Amino acid sequence: MTEKYQIGKEQWKVLLKEWLGRYTLLAPQKEHRGLGYQKLTPDNDDSAVLVLARAAQPLKAFLLPPLEEVAGETAGTSKPYLFLGVKACDLQALPILDRAFGGDFPDSLYQNRRAESLIVSSDCTEPWETCFCELVGGQPYPSRGFDLNLSEIEESLVLEVGSDRGKELLKGHAESLKEADKKTEQALDKKRKETVRKVKQLNSKFKISKSQRELVAPQWDSEVWSKHAETCVECGACNHACPTCHCYFLDDVTRRAFVKLRGWDACMYSGYAVTAGGHSPRARLHQRFRNRYFCKFKYLDDNYGQIGCTGCGRCIEGCQGLIDMRAAIKDLD
Amino acid sequence: MESQANAYQPQKAVIEKIIPETEGIKTFVLRPENPFSFHCGQFAELTVPRVGEGPFAPSSPCFEPERLEFTIQNAGYMTSRLHRMKEGDVLGVRGPYGNGFPLQDFYGKEVLLLIGGVGFPPARALLYSLLREKTRFKKIVMCYGARTPGDIVYKYQIEKFRNEIELHLSVDRADASWNQTEGVVTVLLDKIEINLKEAVAVVIGPPIMMKYGTLKLLNKGFNPKAVYLSMERKMYCGIGQCRHCMIDSYFICKDGPVFRFDQFKNLPDTWE
Repeated sequence: MTEKYQIGKEQWKVLLKEWLGRYTLLAPQKEHRGLGYQKLTPDNDDSAVLVLARAAQPLKAFLLPPLEEVAGETAGTSKPYLFLGVKACDLQALPILDRAFGGDFPDSLYQNRRAESLIVSSDCTEPWETCFCELVGGQPYPSRGFDLNLSEIEESLVLEVGSDRGKELLKGHAESLKEADKKTEQALDKKRKETVRKVKQLNSKFKISKSQRELVAPQWDSEVWSKHAETCVECGACNHACPTCHCYFLDDVTRRAFVKLRGWDACMYSGYAVTAGGHSPRARLHQRFRNRYFCKFKYLDDNYGQIGCTGCGRCIEGCQGLIDMRAAIKDLD
Repeated sequence: MESQANAYQPQKAVIEKIIPETEGIKTFVLRPENPFSFHCGQFAELTVPRVGEGPFAPSSPCFEPERLEFTIQNAGYMTSRLHRMKEGDVLGVRGPYGNGFPLQDFYGKEVLLLIGGVGFPPARALLYSLLREKTRFKKIVMCYGARTPGDIVYKYQIEKFRNEIELHLSVDRADASWNQTEGVVTVLLDKIEINLKEAVAVVIGPPIMMKYGTLKLLNKGFNPKAVYLSMERKMYCGIGQCRHCMIDSYFICKDGPVFRFDQFKNLPDTWE
């Protein structure tokens, strides 16, 4: 049985204020067309949007910054984050990053940041047009991978404890916490089902008969790759926006000798896998396009036991060529 | 906080000597700050300060970790800058990475090395290891092909190796001085005798040569399980993270670089 507490909005503010003193709070806030993670400060602690759907940035933007020094004098500095309002799709991406940057040669920068940060997730209430967690076996509310999860039920909030560190966050607030009653549980359940219904409806025309892996893996020679790659301008937005993409380059082109930088790379770039002498194993665009789908639905699954797509829809939202992964996969069916 | 060693931090290595091999290939003799222990077939990431990093397999014996040799072709941005460096300059080196050659699997067998161009450097490290326990192998045969006689590396050692193993050379384009085989390295396979039942083959070279070399070996009746490939791909990290070197679900850097061909047999993009 999970621990769930009800808390009033005024008490929630008290909690927030307390956390503000201890962590770098990052929360989704309204931006011109959606939500973006920004720092919460004592002056804007009202501006966190914990409902709606996922923010523009995936968590890798903070856990694995786009460009950072990985070897040299300053490598190794990191700052603890408390992420607020993280959605289920983004939590789902973290095990892949954890495994990729763990293993035989653990990346201490990522590992330290990850170990120090806290995650207070929240339920989706209004999925974006591009959301499709439900198609990849996900759901629009977190069920694991958080320290605390937050759901909004009318005028109160429900806090679910997901870890000891999450419980620690509530320490000293026992009197303002009330165990969630049956009525609240039922309301929560109803609200979640309603969001699931919305995601399903959004994706009714993309329903497929098999898993994405079963559709992609045997179709190396399909026409679908060239067809859907036609409008691709190779900007790499799909890669950079993806919560599980984590390919990087290393670079020593700095003013200081023996300082190494790591930056996000994108397998859609034509130079991505080019070796000295100019050879590329994927010289043509449709090959790179296909590789991305094979990576998401086969290679990452083989490597880390989980497909590399969480249905967050950022690759669709960010695509200038209006390429929709759901449509490409549907075409394979 | 830094409980783990930083996976990306190279140690420093002084260039002790530079041996010109051919017009575009030099051997760099390095003395790393700390002994660099490796198995033959494993590779290191070499850093040219302020320029970049690249994966290279040492060409020196793996039982001499204090002194490393890397034979490197001037082929791109990083290697062109490396070629401009002088004796006494300092490079970075990290590793070793990858699996290396499974020498135990070669014991009691005839070992055929099919080597093209700058595949010789890693093959030389392998050769040193094979020769060190020569009696464990029935026979060691090496077929080495270069583009022209001028492109042959380790010319100063060829005769020495010829005394120790069965060595065949070919060049794609001969000149007046050349009195050995002319043609791509795979033609040498028609000249050798090998007992397929108890032979293993190791293929190292440029991608196109590896493809046709492997196909010819299979054609001659080699079991895919007896053909070992030392693969090359773009690599940044060397530690199975950056994903640039992948062929299907394999990390060439971590699961390889040495693969048995049967691991690749059914993959669509092995040779791309």
